[in-house]
Amino acid sequence: MSSKPILVIGGGPAGLEAVRGIADLGYQAILIEKADFLGGMPISADYAALTPDMRSPEEAMGEMIVAITDNPSIDIRLSTTVVGSKGDAPNMEVTVKNAGGEEILEVGSVIVATGFKHFDPGKETQMYGYYEFEDVITLVDAEKMLKADEFARPSTGEAPKTVCFIQCVGSRDRQIGNQWCSKVCCGIACKQAIEVKEAAPDARVFVFYIDMRTYGFWEDEIYWKAQEDYNVNFIRGIVTEVTKRGDTLVVKGEDTTMGRPMEVAMDVVILSVGMEPSDGTVEMADTFELPLEPHGYIETTGGALNTVETTVPGVFVVGAAAGPADLEDSVSMGGSAVMKACSFIRKSELQPA
Amino acid sequence: MSIYKDAKYMDVPYEEKLELFNEVKADMRYGNNLYGCYECGICVAACPSARFYDFSPRVFAQTMAREDVDTFYELLNDSVWDCSQCYSCTRCPRQNNPGGIILMMRDAAVRRGLQSAKDALQAYSRIIYKVMATGTQVAPDMLQPDFFPDWGNDVKAVAENLDVWRRAIPPETLHTTELAWDVSEKTRLELYMIWKLTGNLELIEGIDEGIYMILEEVMEELLEDNGYDIDDFENILDD
Repeated sequence: MSSKPILVIGGGPAGLEAVRGIADLGYQAILIEKADFLGGMPISADYAALTPDMRSPEEAMGEMIVAITDNPSIDIRLSTTVVGSKGDAPNMEVTVKNAGGEEILEVGSVIVATGFKHFDPGKETQMYGYYEFEDVITLVDAEKMLKADEFARPSTGEAPKTVCFIQCVGSRDRQIGNQWCSKVCCGIACKQAIEVKEAAPDARVFVFYIDMRTYGFWEDEIYWKAQEDYNVNFIRGIVTEVTKRGDTLVVKGEDTTMGRPMEVAMDVVILSVGMEPSDGTVEMADTFELPLEPHGYIETTGGALNTVETTVPGVFVVGAAAGPADLEDSVSMGGSAVMKACSFIRKSELQPA
Repeated sequence: MSIYKDAKYMDVPYEEKLELFNEVKADMRYGNNLYGCYECGICVAACPSARFYDFSPRVFAQTMAREDVDTFYELLNDSVWDCSQCYSCTRCPRQNNPGGIILMMRDAAVRRGLQSAKDALQAYSRIIYKVMATGTQVAPDMLQPDFFPDWGNDVKAVAENLDVWRRAIPPETLHTTELAWDVSEKTRLELYMIWKLTGNLELIEGIDEGIYMILEEVMEELLEDNGYDIDDFENILDD
């Protein structure tokens, strides 16, 4: 008798790594993906290049997808959602739904990999005018433009002369209720600043920040690189508002290290929006009765020493569903959850309830 | 356009500032003096000048790293002269050398004969003259009661009989009062040629014309006494 399958919900980087690991260890995996394609946010949001190594998302995610394709131990269900769950692991009955109707799957364990969503800049309490000014865009919008190889000032279609990034939009903000750092936006802003300079070499590019958090190797690989090789201006001080003077945006702020008030005309303002738990993450928390930690992500039990175990036995969480995570975090958590889910099943088989 | 609302020197054309900025950037030392600046302030913490003046080596590094031409021009006309060139700031974790950046900027300011360079060097006319004309700076006859009131009566006694005191020193070359030691005519001729050939004399002309004229006069006399023609410089070199 073969073991009951492990259900992985979400086909982004964390979920793909989890599925690959389950099959490699000789267990059965079922992958449920809401979209009609795999690869998660790097693909669905049209990322131009991954941080920090500038790899093509299609290439990198493609590698992960190939690793789980045409494997008899892996059952991939696209355009499918999880709508209900009954029973406790290792004897769970999970209801999934697609265009063909509902189906009940008997699974031994669940790995939730439903990720994050980008912060909606309409919710910020500063006055950046995302829905008011055409030339105010987000990191996500910029990725799309860079991917299409047409980074330009939206209102004119011309190459911009001044571009700025405003960091921590929707992150580290008690007013908004998002008190976390979204971890990746500093690195992504540096990466995009480099790409913008390559697309528009004459542009002056600014990054207005609170702290630059390009931890680990991101420090010299992207932050120093942007500053030293591309002359990107990093200014510690957050813009308080974006206004319009004539045809041009004006950002106001304080250069805190210089102690001087700033007022700078900008052709394009890029809001470095952070992460929030995705709708799918909130739904799965509800479906599997997983408590949320105080920031609203799925709670894990072991703090720094156990990043993937939820309070519900046999149910694990990986990637940005558990809190802001970069690709390295997500893939590492995927691997960690595989080890824990497989050992959970193995233990239950050795000592049947 | 400066990014600052309180920017100074906005009446100076941007092109003029940019030209000076590019001159500093083209300096062969630039790449070794500046990488990037994350504005940590370790250089300011180590800087003796920052304790006493409204001066910050950090501001130089960050301004240059940002290629902020307007602020560069502000610095060039003001606090670039407040540095004591001690290089305590080189403990920078990014391996920047703010003191080195300042030195390149000072060089540019002197080359261009900027007013800030003239003002800064005004108090040093006597030193420039002494160093360039004789190769020595501190002289025994500087020991005057007026200059060193805190030395009390001793300095008065020394000043009154300076010549005698100096003669009490065994080496004859130190029996001088106006110079730290006896400088030979050959040495002074060589010095003159160095200043002339390296372009330093020309630099002084742009900064302090009075001192330049005195130097020229003194040197010309020296050359004449030695039978040299100032306009026939190559011949002097051949000798």
